[in-house]
Amino acid sequence: MIPLENFLILSGFLFAVGLYGVLARRSAILILMSVELMLAGVAINFAAFAAYLDVDGFSGMIFALFVITVAAAEVGLALGIVLRLFRERRTSYVDAANTLKW
Amino acid sequence: MDLNFRYELLAPEIAVAVTAVLVMFADAFRNELNLKRNLLPQISLLGLAVALVFSLMLGNVSDDFARLVQIDEFTTFFRVLFIAVTLILIIGSHEYIDRHVNHIGEFYGLLLFSTVGAMLMAGARDLITAYLAIEVLSFSLYVAVSLSKNDPRSGEAALKYVLLGGVASAMLLYGLSFIYGVTGSTQYSEISAALSAGNVDFETALILGLVLVIAGLGFKASAVPFHMWTPDAYEGAPIPITAYLSATSKAATFALFLRWFAGPLLPAIDHWQWILALLSVITMVVGNLVALQQHNIKRLLAYSSIGQVGFMLMCITAISEQTGSALLLHLVGYLITNLAIFMAIIAFYNRTGKEEINQFKGLAQTNPYLALVITSGLFSLAGMPLLAGFVTKFILFQSVVSAGYLWLVIVALVASTVSLYYYLQVIKQMYLYQPEDDGNGSNHRWNLTVTGYLSTGILFIGVVWVGVYATPFYEFADKAIAPLFA
Amino acid sequence: MFERLPVPAQFDRLIVTGGIVTGVILGPVFLVLLSLLLVGRISAPELVFWLGFTVIVVGALGTVLLQNIVHAAFALIAALIGVAAMYLLLASEFLALVQVLVYGGGVVLLIIFALMMTNAQDDPIVTDGSQKPFAFIVTLLFGGVLVAAAIDVQWGAESVSLITFRDFGARLFRDFMVPVIIVGVLLDIALSGAIVNARPDIEEHSEEASQ
Repeated sequence: MIPLENFLILSGFLFAVGLYGVLARRSAILILMSVELMLAGVAINFAAFAAYLDVDGFSGMIFALFVITVAAAEVGLALGIVLRLFRERRTSYVDAANTLKW
Repeated sequence: MDLNFRYELLAPEIAVAVTAVLVMFADAFRNELNLKRNLLPQISLLGLAVALVFSLMLGNVSDDFARLVQIDEFTTFFRVLFIAVTLILIIGSHEYIDRHVNHIGEFYGLLLFSTVGAMLMAGARDLITAYLAIEVLSFSLYVAVSLSKNDPRSGEAALKYVLLGGVASAMLLYGLSFIYGVTGSTQYSEISAALSAGNVDFETALILGLVLVIAGLGFKASAVPFHMWTPDAYEGAPIPITAYLSATSKAATFALFLRWFAGPLLPAIDHWQWILALLSVITMVVGNLVALQQHNIKRLLAYSSIGQVGFMLMCITAISEQTGSALLLHLVGYLITNLAIFMAIIAFYNRTGKEEINQFKGLAQTNPYLALVITSGLFSLAGMPLLAGFVTKFILFQSVVSAGYLWLVIVALVASTVSLYYYLQVIKQMYLYQPEDDGNGSNHRWNLTVTGYLSTGILFIGVVWVGVYATPFYEFADKAIAPLFA
Repeated sequence: MFERLPVPAQFDRLIVTGGIVTGVILGPVFLVLLSLLLVGRISAPELVFWLGFTVIVVGALGTVLLQNIVHAAFALIAALIGVAAMYLLLASEFLALVQVLVYGGGVVLLIIFALMMTNAQDDPIVTDGSQKPFAFIVTLLFGGVLVAAAIDVQWGAESVSLITFRDFGARLFRDFMVPVIIVGVLLDIALSGAIVNARPDIEEHSEEASQ
């Protein structure tokens, strides 16, 4: 039997690594990929809690399913915006998008 | 397990969503069906009116839909509020939208969809529903922010908003997953039961979950360490969306705050109270101080709204039935005031295409009515007597003091005084300077359009009405907050 | 548009290199785990877990550290497939399937397309921002807190119960019907959002011309 902690540590690792990517990367697409890592961590967390702790075992799994769905939709949406920005500026680097102050 | 599938309970949401789809279709087939362009706002208004009637008809219901959505006075309060905001917004800004927005059909559709999301946020009684409602609201706004025509700031603002929003959602979700793990359920009622049963020996995980949840919600409400997106999104967005961000988006987040922190998370109050107190102080101070340096009216209002969020967070910190109803009242006052200012700015922008503060020079001479609306709105935000902001802020501060948080209120009073300074800067531009003549008759008198007069007029009357005679609103708020503490 | 797409030769090289890298990293891990299994120190699920763990860790680190943006995208695929293995261990076949289909099939493809249409060709080498040290410290602290919270608590975990497709579907479309509908709205929003942004504004111009 694999202890629950293993899954929690794994998801914590994914979340933290994703956060590093968000903070350190410059390309909008790479930041987006890092957000995907964070969300994958979240989904593992939900599924693990559902499998181990929830007597019913369902809401967490379904939450994980919706997290996956929303994450996929978010990629589509964000890439649309990236493409548009690329058309306007010929770059996908977030710090080249600097008309507005951060 | 018996679930209750009474679809009529969701009639307002369904009506608005169906209207949104209709509007998008009408736009897509505009050429084929020979539809006029101004049909789109008309359909939207009609759908919203129908939804408003439905919400009022459901006003006395207290029931849940399949244990996922709770319909009670609280939900009704926010449904009415959100529908009213969208109605006024469409009336006041359809001209602006026609001229300065790309993809008009999608724009109205997204506005309506985001209203659905906001209403569901207030009504949710399950973390899954609540999360998806948040995302419906956020996604619509990500897109809506990007729809300014010919404005390079728009796409950039949307990109920053969507990336930071994604990170914030991830944080919120991670926090929720810990709360789910600790309590074993996503139902509000069961979370509350599990936490108050006291057999929770998962304290570390619970605190971590709460911190992450507050961080995620703080982002959506633009509380201070998480506010970086706010000024950019406000500046890059079309002005009606800026107004919407400062109104519905904020109010919906606070509806969620109330639902969560007065409901399922209330038993863990010792763990989150200090975090929110801290957040509220930082937000008040930083929001109001940074506002002092702004030159763009949208950015100024962005920081001013951040300051207002600090005041509202005080109520969540000192949560009780009394502060809760004070918060609802303050939200009403704040929404009316803020929308009045934004509608006036939209009317001004329609005429002049300007949005820097020093371009408001001499507005008192070229359009005294508009100057009066903006002035009363800004004074109301600062908390001047006889206007909405004074009454609602007074009741809010009083309730927080009586809950034992005098020190928070003192900080709030100082921050409030600071805010008067930057509001006065704008008023000074309008009243003390002569209008600049750029040769195009920009220093002549001009009038608003009918819908401009209508929207600003209604809101101006609202600002004064709440300021002079707030009793009906107060009673409404009292009634709305009751189910949360029942 | 087609001259911007990477030529197949590049992809071939990428796949071969990727395969070699994966083999070099995973091979020894697999052998060690297999020998542990044969000795009886770990069980078969644990072997799958640690194998998946390695894939995820390497993939995730690759995603955030690799300088070539296309390589990073492929590392992301590896990490997300590893996550699918985790779902299998958590007794949810359905989630594992969805993960592979949505991520392996959809999301990553989308990302790679976006890379091709933006800067993959002109400038595949991506330098990171100047805030690396800051990001590293924040991540270390944050990750430390997350892992500490996971270990600190006595979860008292029970056994894992298998969730079949049938159960999943029945419950999803009955108990959680409202969220399913809301997700429909959400996908609609995302779709129209992606279209209005990604599509050049041809329609608006032609309309102005016709008026």
